Amino acid sequence: MQFLMLKPFSAVFALFLQEATTGRMNMAWDKAQHPDLSKFLVIGALLFIIGVAGVLTRRNIIVIFMSIELILNAANLNFIAMSRYLQETGSVNAVAGQIFAVFVIVVAAAEAAIGLGIVIALYRNKETIWVDEIDILKW
Amino acid sequence: MILSGWEAVFFWFFSIAAIFAGLLTVMARNTIHSALFLISSLVSIAALFILLQAEFIAGVQILVYVGGVMVLFLFVIMLVNVGEEERGREEIFNRKRQVTTSVIFCALLAAGLLYAVNVGYEGLKLDKGRQQAAVEAREGRERRLATSETGTSKITKDAEQVGSSLYRYASLPFEIASLLLLVAIIGSVMLARTIKQEAAVDDVAPDVLPKEAAHDPEVEEAHNVIV
Repeated sequence: MQFLMLKPFSAVFALFLQEATTGRMNMAWDKAQHPDLSKFLVIGALLFIIGVAGVLTRRNIIVIFMSIELILNAANLNFIAMSRYLQETGSVNAVAGQIFAVFVIVVAAAEAAIGLGIVIALYRNKETIWVDEIDILKW
Repeated sequence: MILSGWEAVFFWFFSIAAIFAGLLTVMARNTIHSALFLISSLVSIAALFILLQAEFIAGVQILVYVGGVMVLFLFVIMLVNVGEEERGREEIFNRKRQVTTSVIFCALLAAGLLYAVNVGYEGLKLDKGRQQAAVEAREGRERRLATSETGTSKITKDAEQVGSSLYRYASLPFEIASLLLLVAIIGSVMLARTIKQEAAVDDVAPDVLPKEAAHDPEVEEAHNVIV
């Protein structure tokens, strides 16, 4: 991996190559020392980015809300993965990640209720769900 | 947390499912399809939670998200009119310039996050002796757990641990969260009222209301009943 000058992204490559190449290529890869936490973190990061892309590009306000749910879930996935990793290291506070995840779910539920109430009130008054047509606060 | 054997298969299947379902959520033209893809993404993430031995959170995720929040989403989609989007008469994405800018921003964000994971990854290396000790301690704990009714698995104490720490160490945030949910219930009821209901409950004088609502016999009747 190092002779290819791919050092900055070696973990990402390793993530996708690990199962296929372990044993064949003589990589400096000690599986027992590297926990699979980074895989979960990469999955969480990808879900987060998909959510951000949805918030930025879509016009439908309901799909924007759904993208926010996706972002919160990516954060939850990171919390749980970190909690599991800390359990592995023998930390006594490992369960804190799961408690955080519970609170994130609570906040997501409250946010969905309020946000959808606002969407219904907005649709009743403006007859639109396109965010680029809701511009009455523009100067 | 080394994934081995079927665990790795499980991980790859559900993580790829979660990412593809997330992508389709953002890209689907039909909003109902978006919601259904989001449901499958959430279920895949719940499966990853089970893989991470957080069974309680996985159950909460299915109950609250799939059972509650997404049903709410589907009802709201049915209440508002999204037919124009479905029939292809409305553009589903923003204008081209905005989409280009946000895609560039997301690519930068992706590069930054992956680089951060990559740098932090070096720090995640576990000391071999310490990890071995933790694994042995966990296996010892698991051996002492009771067998489940079907005899195929052990009954873990994960939910018990989460519950006891939720009430011991996080009791104040727990109460604040319950208050937040109460406020959210009241707020959503207030927000989603029609003008008729507002007039009936708030005892508004009819001349303050818009014309059509004021001359509505139902509103006047409700007003008279309350007065």
